Amino acid sequence: MDKLWSGVQAVLNGLLTGSLYAVIGMGMALIFGVMRIVNFAHGAFMMLGMYVTYVLYERAHINPYFGFVGAALLLGALGYLIYHGLLRRIAERSDFMQILMTLGIALILSDGILLTFGADYHQINIPLLDKNVHLGRITLNAPWLVSFAIAAVLAIGMFLFVMRSSLGRALRAIAQNRYAAPLMGIDVHRVQALSFAMGLAAVGIAGGLLLPVFYLYPGVGDQFTLKAFVMVVLGGMGSIGGAAAAGLTLGVVESLTSLYWGNEWAIAVDFAIFLLVLSLRPAGLFGSQRV
Amino acid sequence: MALLEIDRVSKHFGGVRAVHDVSFAVHEKEMVFIVGPNGAGKTTLFNLITGFVRADEGAIRYAGRDITRLTPDRAARLGIGRTFQIVKPLRNLTVEENVMLGAFQHTGRADEARRRAREVIAFLKMERWGPLPALGLPLATLKRLEIARALATRPKLMLLDEVVAGLPTGEAMALAELLARLPEWGVAAVGGVEHVMQVVMRVAHRVVVLDHGVLIAEGPPDEVVHKPEVIEAYLGAKYKERGL
Amino acid sequence: MTRRQLLLALAACAACALLPLVVQKDYQLNVLFRIFLFAALGLAWNLVGGFTGQLSLGHAAFFGIGAYGLALFHGKLGVPVWPALALAVAAAVVASVLIGGVAFRLRGPYFALATIAFAEVLRNVAKNLPDVTGGDVGVQAPPLFAGAISRSFYFAAVGLTACSLAVTAWAARSRFGYYLMAIRENEDTALSVGVNATRSKVSVLAISAALTAVGGALYASLFLYIVPDQVLAIDISNEIAIVAMLGGAGTVLGPIVGAIILETASEVFKNVFHEAHLLIYGVLILLVVLFLPEGIVGALKTLRRRRGKG
Repeated sequence: MDKLWSGVQAVLNGLLTGSLYAVIGMGMALIFGVMRIVNFAHGAFMMLGMYVTYVLYERAHINPYFGFVGAALLLGALGYLIYHGLLRRIAERSDFMQILMTLGIALILSDGILLTFGADYHQINIPLLDKNVHLGRITLNAPWLVSFAIAAVLAIGMFLFVMRSSLGRALRAIAQNRYAAPLMGIDVHRVQALSFAMGLAAVGIAGGLLLPVFYLYPGVGDQFTLKAFVMVVLGGMGSIGGAAAAGLTLGVVESLTSLYWGNEWAIAVDFAIFLLVLSLRPAGLFGSQRV
Repeated sequence: MALLEIDRVSKHFGGVRAVHDVSFAVHEKEMVFIVGPNGAGKTTLFNLITGFVRADEGAIRYAGRDITRLTPDRAARLGIGRTFQIVKPLRNLTVEENVMLGAFQHTGRADEARRRAREVIAFLKMERWGPLPALGLPLATLKRLEIARALATRPKLMLLDEVVAGLPTGEAMALAELLARLPEWGVAAVGGVEHVMQVVMRVAHRVVVLDHGVLIAEGPPDEVVHKPEVIEAYLGAKYKERGL
Repeated sequence: MTRRQLLLALAACAACALLPLVVQKDYQLNVLFRIFLFAALGLAWNLVGGFTGQLSLGHAAFFGIGAYGLALFHGKLGVPVWPALALAVAAAVVASVLIGGVAFRLRGPYFALATIAFAEVLRNVAKNLPDVTGGDVGVQAPPLFAGAISRSFYFAAVGLTACSLAVTAWAARSRFGYYLMAIRENEDTALSVGVNATRSKVSVLAISAALTAVGGALYASLFLYIVPDQVLAIDISNEIAIVAMLGGAGTVLGPIVGAIILETASEVFKNVFHEAHLLIYGVLILLVVLFLPEGIVGALKTLRRRRGKG
């Protein structure tokens, strides 16, 4: 019976972690769906979001559950600038070159942060960290519940935005047919810049929400880049809803793996899923619809 | 025996019936052209024959052998050469190197491949383009390059996908003259897709008309062109009455 | 090869062979070792990345298999040193066929992702199986040479570079090489003229993996001790790719030029590089992508061709 409850606890914890993964994945899916760019710098941007939130906390004493907004704004602006300054120039070039560009950006970001803040691990301590919510045999950590709530609102917001708003429609138009879109009067570069900005803002928010419950160090983003890829592939290459579902799934699978096999294998499970999906169903498990 | 047999072949893409229950044959020493309005399924048919797309139903036979499930490279090695409607040159290689790629099918040596490539380039009157990179060349040259590259593989069956589309009339007719000489290169039969009718009338022995994926007429060009179904498919019902 | 090129090549070989007479210090020879090692690794990568256009960011996998192969076949299974090296290379080739089988079904970015994933899997496996691989702590590697060690490794690296260069030069003129370039330019076109793209890609990856594995084994043997985060790190994959691209992916001499520049700079500006080497790599990548996509050698060739046309 105990084992069952451990399992349930693991699943719930997995959903909580998974909600943040979902936001990260949705950001990546947005960028990939609209721009067909595989953003190797995704994790690095998340890390940047974490550091921004950290600085806001340390210097201005802003609670990260409010500070994440700062991260979102900064990353959104940065995304817009990077698109127009760098990505736009190689828009017509091969995938090869675009991958390299985001890779270069990732290296600059990680090392830049390392040089600015040092390699030390940081951790913040807010009172909320000690609070837990008890539901019978299940214990849920309060910060994770807060981030789950915020992430859920964000995810639903993103989904509705993409599906209902006119900008969202423009986004989907470009995702379906980037050559026809300008003929429909869509300013492709403007929409792509905004998508990139939104994708980065989303991942910045995820970073801010993650800060209280995680260690902060320059390399923290790398594992999340891979997770983001896994989610996009699993969720169907550009499907935002799919990426969200994949994020939750990934959280649960990792959590259960940790429970039964130990922490080290949780990362291996990410890869295993990735490679498995790539070999069996490159179109993803959750559907092949675009954004 | 026919060199190429299309036997009740169908292909659907989602809800769209690209090719439906199409059957016809191409015999040695024939030039058969597939014509039809845009979207008729002509290029899909080529992709089915050359293995870029797999048929949902039916069979395709080449020299008696079932090639329905063959991959494109195997089809090419059997002697089926093709050009692409949207030209696919190897941009960062020279024209000569592009053609050498085809020539390599029959030789492992670069100097031999180069020699053969030059022969084909001379036949297609492209000598001045030989040493230039394929990047940025005019469409007419790239279309000839498609033919040269395929011809260098010494195919028995040559499939030409809209090789004269987009060319000015003079160029198109000049190319048509060259096409008529393909048998000199060991090409036993030619299948073409075209909608430049002047070329088709000039060069084709037989014409197969597709409309919305269905074969609606077949026969010598001057006969087929007068058939009411064909006129209707191209121009609409009211022209059928006027009887062009 | 023209007579002039052949003479130049022989002169270069002679210079390399005689260099240790001038350069005597171990430390300096180790620097030269690193330059030639990365030249060889860059050339090996170039076969897949430059000629065939498949962006592999996971070549550390083969480097690490070479390193761990040498260490484990000898240390754990008692195989004599040089046969252990051969087995390590064989293991890398087998791995390349497995990796290629999955990754080559994917085009463009998915291929790059898959290669990264494979290398990371190997790194995690190495870290998580301490009984087999020593885990995080690492494992000992046997010395391949006795006596004048630095000089021997220097010559070994030169030899590997010469090998890789020979393979590259052969590929550039052979049918195999043309097929690879055709796959790079347009895989459909290549298929339409009878190129078995899958077989070509897997073959070139196997060759590349073999050469890279030898490099990994040499590296391990020089340092006599390896850990996963050193030989299986994505850093190695990145460095190899940058060396080739900076010098000129798809050219024959490019990777050598890239290695000389990058590794020399890394040594001269060692302190700066030690602190900020990733930043420098990142900036270099951006500069190459934005301004020098053909690499140095590639840009020179284009310049010469344009001058030639008048």
